[in-house]
Amino acid sequence: MDTNVMMAEIRDANLGYLMLAQQMIRADKATAIYRLGVSSGIADLIAGLNNAQILKLSGTSMMLARFRFEDGAILGMLTNYNKDRALSQSHAAILMAGQGVEEIA
Amino acid sequence: MAKKSVVTESHEIQLSIELIKLGARLQLLESETSLSRERLLKLYKELKGVSPPKGMLPFSTDWFITWQPNVHSSLFINIYKFLQEHAHITGIVAVVKAYKLYLEQMGPEGDDEPVLSLTRAWTLVRFFDSKMLSTACCTECSGHFVVHQLDLNAGYTCGLCHMPSRAGKTRKAKEAAQAAVAMA
Repeated sequence: MDTNVMMAEIRDANLGYLMLAQQMIRADKATAIYRLGVSSGIADLIAGLNNAQILKLSGTSMMLARFRFEDGAILGMLTNYNKDRALSQSHAAILMAGQGVEEIA
Repeated sequence: MAKKSVVTESHEIQLSIELIKLGARLQLLESETSLSRERLLKLYKELKGVSPPKGMLPFSTDWFITWQPNVHSSLFINIYKFLQEHAHITGIVAVVKAYKLYLEQMGPEGDDEPVLSLTRAWTLVRFFDSKMLSTACCTECSGHFVVHQLDLNAGYTCGLCHMPSRAGKTRKAKEAAQAAVAMA
């Protein structure tokens, strides 16, 4: 993939992520915190961004959303086909809910 | 008795409507709102079209320990604790939000009804508050699962890491599998 194209894709993904996150938080903060896995401080921060700030923030060359699976166990569970799908998803959800959130210092 | 406030009352009616739609029993409504029993009865009949079920609520903690209910109640309690800890909500609001998230997790394609009802979920939270149940950390997946408070849980492994041999193999599951084969 061409670097320029990749950069554009990243910016797109960032913009989409931020807009969606903002909508989710404004609609229902508690549920959004669970779904996004961020602390309530970050949630307030994202909810308070205006459009210009969102555009500016998404214009970087780095992805803003980070990979959430810190250990292989959950990832293995979600991608494993041996077990019953619904069951492994519940198992993964139990582990994910037990994890901490992304916080700002 | 405290002065009646119209605003509080309308909030409580809204809450009751939401709870009834999620399948709450009358006892839950009575203890979470200050509306009179008659009004709750009326509300219930209007929303559901039938009288609320009578009789006592299930009161055994053992139900939450059996295999399938344990998976579901562990999922619910994990979501609930997450919301409490990170979203800083408490009480019935947290129970309702956690229950909605739990239903979502079960998925729209979950053809059988969710194992955990709202009333059960609420009872579960009360058992946790009264320290009759707690969570133990599975030694294999390090997830937190519902256990009796006073059980010995050293080296605990959860029902998902160590599936009982006949777990989930109900007649219903078998029929569903056969139907899937027939479709293919």
